[in-house]
Amino acid sequence: MSAAPQALIAEVTHRCPLHCVYCSNPLEMQAARNELSTEDWSGIIRQAGQLGCWHLHLTGGEPLLRRDIGELVRAGRQSGLYVNLITSGLGLTRERLRLLVESGLDHIQLSFQDSEEEAANMFAGVTAHAQKLRVAEWIREHRIAFTANLVVHRQNIDRLREGIRLAEQLGADKLEIANVQYYGWAIRNRAALLPSREQLRASLPVIEAERARLSGKMRIDYVLPDYYAKYPKPCMGGWGRSLLLIDPAGRAMPCHSAGVIPGLEFPNAAREPLQAIWEQSAAFERFRGEEWMEEPCRSCERKEIDFGGCRCQAMLIAGDAAATDPVCSLSPQRFLVDDLIEGVHVGKSNEQEWVYRIDPVGSR
Amino acid sequence: MTAREGRPVLKPGCRLSAAGDVLLIPEGALRLQGPASRIVEACDGTRTVEEIVATLLKQFPGADETKVSQETASFLNRLSERGVLEFV
Ligand code: SF4
Ligand code: SF4
Repeated sequence: MSAAPQALIAEVTHRCPLHCVYCSNPLEMQAARNELSTEDWSGIIRQAGQLGCWHLHLTGGEPLLRRDIGELVRAGRQSGLYVNLITSGLGLTRERLRLLVESGLDHIQLSFQDSEEEAANMFAGVTAHAQKLRVAEWIREHRIAFTANLVVHRQNIDRLREGIRLAEQLGADKLEIANVQYYGWAIRNRAALLPSREQLRASLPVIEAERARLSGKMRIDYVLPDYYAKYPKPCMGGWGRSLLLIDPAGRAMPCHSAGVIPGLEFPNAAREPLQAIWEQSAAFERFRGEEWMEEPCRSCERKEIDFGGCRCQAMLIAGDAAATDPVCSLSPQRFLVDDLIEGVHVGKSNEQEWVYRIDPVGSR
Repeated sequence: MTAREGRPVLKPGCRLSAAGDVLLIPEGALRLQGPASRIVEACDGTRTVEEIVATLLKQFPGADETKVSQETASFLNRLSERGVLEFV
């Protein structure tokens, strides 16, 4: 038996007005016609509350593209959940935000692609930056939590300080700076996105100084790219351990890129009870606990801290979802990651073509 | 504003669960035990810490006043350090 999940991540749509070059959505996205109805989502959200979840994260794609997003916020609040909206800000008006807050929105996470307008719009593949600045102003008219998210990579990590100043000016309670993680569309652009070791090293004192300067005012989280880490991240807080993700078509998954792992069948939450999915389904059982682990994880004392790392990364890089995450320095396959880093930084220029994330079929 | 003279209030985006036993915050949730949820309930920005302690003493007659006062202050300081609460 497994403890209740802490949060339901509801990927309510894969449609998105942005085309971020590092988008972590799967390459094969769910089309608009496969999206669940309002009733289906409300039912799933209600069950999540009964199951003991605390948080509901409404995400996508761009969740605001669903006209019923206000109803889903209300369903979350009525089910006793803390409701967080993860958005690019496109599709928001001052009035629509007010309605969302009235429906029970607790927290909004607004994404930024850069501190400079031109660069931001280039990474997003669309003119979006100016709208985000307006949205930030509207957010501050309400008593909800405001987190700014900034994604950094080789092309903009040297402008960290400017990014932090922007979030400060906008009055965010917290800034989450995340280095790109290599899943989905980001893998296609890895050669242009992966920062160098020197860039990373230079970023640390900037973060430290700004944290000290802003102490008590704005908190800063900084997520390193795990290719450079000694140990992997505790992906999703452990497989089937604290997070439950539902994709736009209702497929229940332990993590957003679990679709890359062959042989897993994801039960549909519009048809099967959430509790049974969480507690019994083969997909959630597959990498739960430690039984599945191989060496070196099996006898490693960090296995309760990082749970052997990310299964999808093991699949994507080592070709075996049950292997130790190859970013781990103890993994016999760590050389694959080192080769990747080297391949990216030796003899390749920055001037390469971006692959922009496309919209799923049937979106327009 | 120091904790001594300020009136504690939950930060935007932090609230008690409907049942009152969990403090919901953007990053997660804190389970509240014993009088902790009464204390958090009283943090509405209108009461000083001293007033909150006085209310607690009424709700728990016979409790040691010095102890209640010290523990309340340190609990509120911990919440404020976590960014969950501010003094206005
Ligand atoms: S394209 Fe950008 S905004 Fe849209 S889902 Fe992907 S990362 Fe998020
Ligand atoms: S060997 Fe496995 S458990 Fe140990 S640090 Fe590496 S990934 Fe984590």
